[in-house]
Amino acid sequence: MVPRLFLILCFAALAATSLVAVGVGTWLISSELPESGQDITDIVIVYGGGMACLLIATIAVLWAYIDYAMGQPLAALVRGIQTVIHANPDHRIEVDDSHQLGGLPQAVGELVGQLAHARNSVSEAIEKATESVEQQKNQLAIVLQDLHEGVIVCNLNHSILLYNNRALELLHIAGEMGLDRSLLSFMSRQPILHALTRLTNRVAEGRHMRHSEGVTVSFVGSTTDGRYILDGRMSLILDSDDAPSGYVISFEDDTEELAALGLRDRLLREATEGLLAPVGNLRAAAEILESAADMTVEEQSAFRQVVLKESKYLSDRLETLSAQYRDVITGSWPMTDIYSPNLLNNIAHRLLEQSNFNAVMTGIPQWLHGDSYTLVELLDRLIRKVGNFAGTNSFELEAAAGERHVYLDVGWKGVVVQASMLSSWLDDQLEETLGGLTLRDVLEHHKTDIWSLPYRDGHARLRLPLPPALRPPTSRDGRSRPSRPEFYDFELLKRPVQLGDLGGRPLKSINYVVFDTETTGLEPSAGDEIISIAGVRVVNGRILTGESFERLVDPKRPIPKDSIRFHGITDEMVKDKPPVQVVLPQFRQFVADSVLVAHNAAFDLKFLKLKESECEVTFDMAVLDTLLLSVYLHDHTTRHTLDDAAQRLGIEIQGRHTALGDSLVTAGVFLKMIDVLEARGVNTLDEAIEASNTIVEVRARQANF
Amino acid sequence: MAKSILVVEDEPNIVLSLQFLMKKAGFDVRVARDGEEALAAVEERAPDLILLDVMIPKRDGYDVCQTIRSNPDWSGIFIIMLTAKGRDVDREKGIALGANDYVTKPFSTRDLTEMVKKILDSSG
Repeated sequence: MVPRLFLILCFAALAATSLVAVGVGTWLISSELPESGQDITDIVIVYGGGMACLLIATIAVLWAYIDYAMGQPLAALVRGIQTVIHANPDHRIEVDDSHQLGGLPQAVGELVGQLAHARNSVSEAIEKATESVEQQKNQLAIVLQDLHEGVIVCNLNHSILLYNNRALELLHIAGEMGLDRSLLSFMSRQPILHALTRLTNRVAEGRHMRHSEGVTVSFVGSTTDGRYILDGRMSLILDSDDAPSGYVISFEDDTEELAALGLRDRLLREATEGLLAPVGNLRAAAEILESAADMTVEEQSAFRQVVLKESKYLSDRLETLSAQYRDVITGSWPMTDIYSPNLLNNIAHRLLEQSNFNAVMTGIPQWLHGDSYTLVELLDRLIRKVGNFAGTNSFELEAAAGERHVYLDVGWKGVVVQASMLSSWLDDQLEETLGGLTLRDVLEHHKTDIWSLPYRDGHARLRLPLPPALRPPTSRDGRSRPSRPEFYDFELLKRPVQLGDLGGRPLKSINYVVFDTETTGLEPSAGDEIISIAGVRVVNGRILTGESFERLVDPKRPIPKDSIRFHGITDEMVKDKPPVQVVLPQFRQFVADSVLVAHNAAFDLKFLKLKESECEVTFDMAVLDTLLLSVYLHDHTTRHTLDDAAQRLGIEIQGRHTALGDSLVTAGVFLKMIDVLEARGVNTLDEAIEASNTIVEVRARQANF
Repeated sequence: MAKSILVVEDEPNIVLSLQFLMKKAGFDVRVARDGEEALAAVEERAPDLILLDVMIPKRDGYDVCQTIRSNPDWSGIFIIMLTAKGRDVDREKGIALGANDYVTKPFSTRDLTEMVKKILDSSG
């Protein structure tokens, strides 16, 4: 019962008892008095009434005070404690100072304070622990994503708790594998169960303490459809009591390696045992022909036929076998897909640091397949030798797409290296590599060779063909971006430009910056903003891959979802990036006095022009548009997107996801166009602008209809 | 005057066959057994066609080819490379360094003779 209600009832009972006592007393006295004592009776009744009133009043006052000084504070205390327990641990219990509860509220207050403190430290500890778990989880996720092996973590019911992308790839599963799904629906059941049984038995018997492999075991598994063979390792996860709680498997796709080994064995068998019989026949026939002089002409002819038939068979057979053997990839030579700028950059840095050689990267980057480390060693060594031989310390590094190979070309001013000299260099060993690997071995591992040829006037180059990438990123994620609609602002492209001497110069001799922007949308005047800008320098008809500009820009507005499929840039990615007021002046500085080139240039230029005053820069240089030039050169078609133009001119499209990627492709397209323009009699910048203007006029007229 | 052929090979067994076949086809045949001998022979008198093995001592076939091509006077010499190296990249290297054709071993002697006849007959 609530204390205050209890108090009320107690005092009510006291009041009732007092009333009854006074009433009964008064009635007894007055009934014992004689009739004549009417006056006294009246006095007694009045006295009784008065006493009753006094008693009731006193009891009421007492109740009111006790309720005020004890009942209410007690109730407040209870409410306060309840608040602390159920709602707010930091709540301070407030009790009016006039209470008569002695030290109770203070004691309760201290108790609550201690409780709150204890609770806070517990939740702080939990928060910290959660944070560090989260951090460890993230680190683990990063490590897992970088691993070359597929990794999957399961509990003992084979439910998947964690996996990396490589696991998806190796199991050939598109999209989500799905956490909590059973591993056994992706990998064949028996090898997994067998490996798990071996490990749990090992742990149950305590053998894992002494076992050289601990709680790990190797197994060969396969995907459930049996098409891919996986070379796997399973490790048991033990809890603090050493009881198994789950397992980790790591695995690699062994299908190709096993198939290659099998093929190599078969070829070896056929090349040895399979050729014994025909060689035997051949030898017998040749020996008989040589020794038996007394043969008839018919007999001789029969043996000659044997020699001819068997040697032809041997020749054909060996040719087939060696052709097959060339394609066998064996051994665990680590080859990966490599983006050429990463490789060439690495070489350029080493040459500069160790030999003070200056290497400039040119051309459109390519994806190739190889071992980065030994390729860097090989080229670094060869370039230094060329430097000493040709007396130069200045080189150009370029990757170029061929029909079957990607070429790494090293160019210099001077004479070619004779094949036998180059060949003798290849006998050098790589210093820091184990096993005395020679430069020639590196070539052999890449199934290639190298040669030197004259190139341009007075220049020579080394050409190293390499296998193209197995899975370049564009085909890897299958993402191809839709093209922007053609965009013309006729004012922008037709505005007169004061070119001076520049206008009369041949197109190849002019310095360009080929650039591209990504934006939040198509309407700059309606608030769309630049989110990325990139450019690459083109000098003397060469793309200077190493001299590029690339920035993300904070547009200070949300990036519309619809536009992300064009550029793949999200709010998160531009969050900490500088605003356009910082980036545009940097870009202007990068452009300096170059001529600007872009595909659909009017679009990008419009965005730049609108920001001019705000950024205190002007873009008043000459501008060439590869879209307009494409229309001018190829008026037989309406297909003039960057992809169309690149395809038409044979520019390999790789890594076209970013402003820089598009700039590089545009630069490649532009250089090819210069050749075609020259063939059409368009030689100077003036003439190129003139050609563009005719197209703008045609399009303007079309737009008016 | 008969067309002249220079056979550059270091394996006597195949030299025997090549020499025999080309002579029989009516060509003037000389033989060089390594790269330096080959260049000396060209220097002495430029042949119309060279059958050039890649794997020869001293200067290899690629080097001989490259050296011949660096002299404009010898640009008319037709060079056929003979080699056991059959990869795409080997053929590409041979052609890049100036060979007109590339034949992988083992080859049919009859096909090779036909090929040489055709080239030298059409070159007038």
